[in-house]
Amino acid sequence: MRWLILAAVLVLVAGLTVPGGAQQKLKAGFIYVGPIGDYGWTHAHDQARKLAEKAVPGLETTYVESVPEAQAEPFIDKLVQQGARVIFTTSFGFMDGTLAAAKRYPNQIFAHASGFKRAPNMATFMADFYQVYYLNGLMAGALTKTGKVGYVGAFPIPEVKRHISAYALGVRAVNPKATVHVKWIFEWFKPAAAKEATEALIAEGVDVFAFTEDSPTVVQVAGKRGLPAFSHYSPMQKFSPDHVVSGQLVHWEKIYIDFLSKVQSGKYTAENLSNVDYWWLLAEGAAELGGEFGVPVNPKWKGKLQAAMVSTPDLGRLSVYDLVMKRMAQMSDAKMAFDPFTGPIKDRKGVTRVPGGKRMSVGDLNTMEWAAPGVVGSWPKEP
Amino acid sequence: MIPELILTTIVRALAVGTPLLWASLGEIYAERSGVVNLGVEGMMILGAFLAFAVAHTTGNPILGLAMAGIVGGLAALIHAFVSITLRANQYVSGLALAMLGLGLAGVLGRAYEGIPLLNTVPEVSGLTFLGVLLAAAMWFVLHHTRPGLILRSTGESPATVDALGIDVTRVRYVAVVFGGILAGVAGGFLSVAYRPSWTEGMTGGMGWIAIAIAIFAGWDPLKAVWGALFFGALYYLSFRLQTWVTPEALRMMPFAFTILVLAVTARNRRGQGAPEALGIPYTSGAR
Repeated sequence: MRWLILAAVLVLVAGLTVPGGAQQKLKAGFIYVGPIGDYGWTHAHDQARKLAEKAVPGLETTYVESVPEAQAEPFIDKLVQQGARVIFTTSFGFMDGTLAAAKRYPNQIFAHASGFKRAPNMATFMADFYQVYYLNGLMAGALTKTGKVGYVGAFPIPEVKRHISAYALGVRAVNPKATVHVKWIFEWFKPAAAKEATEALIAEGVDVFAFTEDSPTVVQVAGKRGLPAFSHYSPMQKFSPDHVVSGQLVHWEKIYIDFLSKVQSGKYTAENLSNVDYWWLLAEGAAELGGEFGVPVNPKWKGKLQAAMVSTPDLGRLSVYDLVMKRMAQMSDAKMAFDPFTGPIKDRKGVTRVPGGKRMSVGDLNTMEWAAPGVVGSWPKEP
Repeated sequence: MIPELILTTIVRALAVGTPLLWASLGEIYAERSGVVNLGVEGMMILGAFLAFAVAHTTGNPILGLAMAGIVGGLAALIHAFVSITLRANQYVSGLALAMLGLGLAGVLGRAYEGIPLLNTVPEVSGLTFLGVLLAAAMWFVLHHTRPGLILRSTGESPATVDALGIDVTRVRYVAVVFGGILAGVAGGFLSVAYRPSWTEGMTGGMGWIAIAIAIFAGWDPLKAVWGALFFGALYYLSFRLQTWVTPEALRMMPFAFTILVLAVTARNRRGQGAPEALGIPYTSGAR
C-alpha cells in the first residue's frame, strides 16, 4: 500500500513537472507610470502584457503600477529580487532610471518604451501613432466647419509634438486654411484638466478634437456638445458612439510577444541589445486606425467623409474617405509608398525642416521640437 | 470676446467648484470639531466609484449619489474610530484613509472600467445650488444656533464642553461622519455628472484642493463658496489663457495664490485662525 501511494505521488509529480520542464520559465516584470485602470496608455500596456502571457510559452509576468517617473529604480530592484529576467519600463521619464538599473544588473534584460538610450542589455521600443494621427487629421480637416481643429496635449515633448504636427499636416492636406489649436495640460492622466482644456477650446470656436491624455474625457466632453472627436489609445468609441469619428489604437502585444519570444529562444541576450530599437507602426500592426478595434472609421461618419472631395498631387481628385483608406494602405505596406513627414516641409515659422523628397529619420522624429504650419498656441522649447 | 470669457468662466467655475465646495464644507465641519481629516481624497474616490457602480447597475444616478454619501460617511467612521476613540495621530490616520480609499476603489472598480454611463446628472445642476444653500445653512447653524456653538466650542476647548456635560466624542463623531458624507457626494458628482464614467484615480487631487479651500476660507462655510468658485475659475482659466500667457506660468497660478492667501491670512490671526484644539485627540480629565 505504501509503495502504491509513493508510486502515485511520483507519477503525479512527474506529470506536473515534465511539461513545465520542457519549456524554459521566463519571468518578465513591467513598470507602469499610471494605474492599469486609466483606460489609456497603461491600460493598453497591461492588456498587451496579458496577451503576451498567453502567447509566449513559459512566460510569467508581474507589474507595478502608478510608479512616479523619477522613482523607477527602487521598483526595478524589487522586480529583480522577485526573479524577473526581463524588465519593461513603459514611460519616457523612466529612461535614465532604466539605464542606471541596466548598468547595475548586467545580467538582466531591459526594454524601455518611447526613449532613445540603449545599452548592451537595454533595448528601446515604441508603437508610434504619427501615421494614424495624420489619417485622423485628414478626416478632421474635412469635418471642421469653423476651420478650427483642437488638440489637448499632455506634455510638450517630442512624441506629442510629432503627433500634433502629423495631425496638422493631415488637416492642412485636406483643408489648407484650417488651424490646429493646442492646449497643454502637463499631465498624462488628469480627467478634470482634460475636461477644462476641452471646454476652453470649445469656447474659442474649435469643433473637432484629438488629444493625448489617458482617459476618455475629451471624447465625452466633445460628444456631449455634439462635436466630433478622435479616440486615443483605448477603444473609446462607446463613450460617444455618435461623435467618435475614428482614433488611434495600439497593439503593444505585437512588440512584447516578438521581443520575449526572441529572449526565450536565446536570440536576444543581455549582451546584444545595443541596436535593438522597435519602431513599429501601421505596417507591423502595432498601430491601428479606429475608435474601436476593427472599425477604422465610424460608419456614422462615412457618408460625410465620402461627400468631401479633395485634390492630391499623386492620387488625383478623390473623396476624403478614399484618401484615408489609400494612405492607410500605402503606410500599412512594408515599402511605405507614403509617409506624412516627407519634404518639403516648413515649420510654422517658415524654416525648412525637411528638404524636398527627403523623409525624416526615426532619430529626427524622436527629437523633433518644431511645429507644423497651422498649429496655433504656445509651444514650449520651439526652435 | 470679454463678455463671452466672463460668462464661460463663471459656468466652468460653477462646474469645477461644485465638488470642491461639497468636499470643503464637509472638511470645515470636521475641523471645527477639532478633527483634521486628510482622507478627503479617499472618501471622494470611494464615493465616485460607488456612485458610478450604482448608477450603472440601477440606471439611477440620484441613488448613486445617495450611496456615495453613505460610503463616504462609512469611510469617515473609520477615521473617527481611529483618531477619536483610539486617539491615534489624526494626520497619519487621514493619510492612511486617503491611500486606502484610492487602493480599494481601484481594485473594486476594475469591473467598471471602460463603461459609459447612460443616465447622468447635468453638471451645473441641483447639486451646485444645493451646495450653496448648504453652505448658507451650515454657516447659520455654526454661528447662530446652540448645536453650532457646541461644535465650535468642541474644536476650541473640548475640556470646557466636557465640563458642561456634553459628550466630546459624540460631537466629533457626528462632525467627521457628516464631513465624510459630503465628501462622498462630491466624489459621486465627478463620476455621474462631471465626467460620467469610472476611471481609477479619477478624483485627481481634488480632495487635497478641498482641504486647502477649508483653510483658505478660514473654516467659514460661506467663504468656502467663494473659495471653491475661485479655484474653479482659476482651473479653467489656466487653460483658457494659454493663448496669451505661457502655460508654465499658468500652471503655478493656483499654488502661487494659495501661498499668497495663506501668507496674508497668517498675518491677521484673530478670527481667521484654526480651531484651537485642531488635531489634538481629547482625553477626558487629562491636562
